[in-house]
Amino acid sequence: MSDCRFTAAKTVEEAVASLAEARGEAHIIAGGVALAILMNEGLLQPSWLIDVSRVTELNCIEVGDDGAIRIGAAVTHSEVAASTDIAASCPMLTEMATEIACGRVMNRGTIGGNICLADPQGDPPVAMLALDATFRVAGPSATRDVPARSFFEDLYTTALAEDELLQEVIIAAPTAGCGTAFGKYAARKAMDYSSTISAAVSLERDPGDGSIADIGIGLGGCGVIPIWPEMTETLLRGRRLNDETFAVMRDVLVQEIEPIGDSLYSADYKRHVASVILKRTLKIAEQRSVAGKGGGS
Amino acid sequence: MSIDISLNINGESHDLTVDPTETLVSILRDRLGMTGTHKDCCMGICGSCTVLVNGRPVSSCLLLAVQINGDSVRTVEGLENNGTLSPLQEAFLTFGAVQCGYCTPGFLMTATALLEENPKPNCAEIVDALKGNLCRCTGYKKIIEAVQAVANA
Repeated sequence: MSDCRFTAAKTVEEAVASLAEARGEAHIIAGGVALAILMNEGLLQPSWLIDVSRVTELNCIEVGDDGAIRIGAAVTHSEVAASTDIAASCPMLTEMATEIACGRVMNRGTIGGNICLADPQGDPPVAMLALDATFRVAGPSATRDVPARSFFEDLYTTALAEDELLQEVIIAAPTAGCGTAFGKYAARKAMDYSSTISAAVSLERDPGDGSIADIGIGLGGCGVIPIWPEMTETLLRGRRLNDETFAVMRDVLVQEIEPIGDSLYSADYKRHVASVILKRTLKIAEQRSVAGKGGGS
Repeated sequence: MSIDISLNINGESHDLTVDPTETLVSILRDRLGMTGTHKDCCMGICGSCTVLVNGRPVSSCLLLAVQINGDSVRTVEGLENNGTLSPLQEAFLTFGAVQCGYCTPGFLMTATALLEENPKPNCAEIVDALKGNLCRCTGYKKIIEAVQAVANA
């Protein structure tokens, strides 16, 4: 037997109280698909596991009267993929969740766990960046809201303090006419890791000339953290999507991202793939924006 | 720390005292002698340890048993009924979908869950459901044909 403690939290309050008591020595576990890999590899020997997978308030998907989507941190990727509410208001999230790993990982892995892992190859953070999501974080005395765009700080490092728990993600209602899309390149259809490049796009077009009025982009596999490419977004605002725009965009994008090269896929190759995937995803989001119904096709 | 849990495995109740860090696959194989569930990559990549928890496929190498207290687990040992193989197991034999056999339990459990949720999947749906399971004997074609045959029956 190990000397690992285990707490099956029933409420957010209970989980946060345990975190405070543990003083940085505990790990939150939800689906466990990431932590168990580290444990199996001998890289992590936890001294205290706080299980939040059965906390009711972390397991809800809600679309409010204002159209905002709230997804509890312990909602699984399968539940996101199957949600008709999410598919109706933000199809990009459905596409994103459907393409994660494969079914048996989707059935355990959670949106909150994936975001808090902050793996640069992960898919949910990329969607959150494009949608300018807000992360509601529970701490010992209060909750606070952290924008997704300032949550990812360094490799596997987030803005969460050691006594804080991600409670839910909040995505504002897409404005009418907004188009969203998620695109991904992976050498293997399922379970790919090192070659994966992903792009999430949310865009609104000017009803007059069809140029991009507003845009949000997230990129995966393009650096040590999930990337929010501000320069590329700035460049695209006010432009129409055509070959000239894509050529200029590529030049800016490859400067703005720093993919990690490995023995199979060089950083330059990943830069190229990122520009191709972003271009394709932009085109799909643009087509959907024409429909003018919040991203539906 | 040891924790008492109860699991329903293939219809039989098991009361177990587990360490919080013990994975389901270790408990099945090392504690209960149920070696039909195979342990290979231990990273969730290969699919050979797939079992059904509350009817849905999961990687038992990435699942801490302490987290599923009270849940029901189905393993490959639970597919046969009084010595009679399930139609899917029979189809795997008929179509030669078993070569070395290492990946077979994982494929069987993944495909069993698919057929229970969607009894008449088309080829694309079968391929999509099985995309997370690896066969290193490259027997995918026969595996897909076996699942298709059960769907068409």
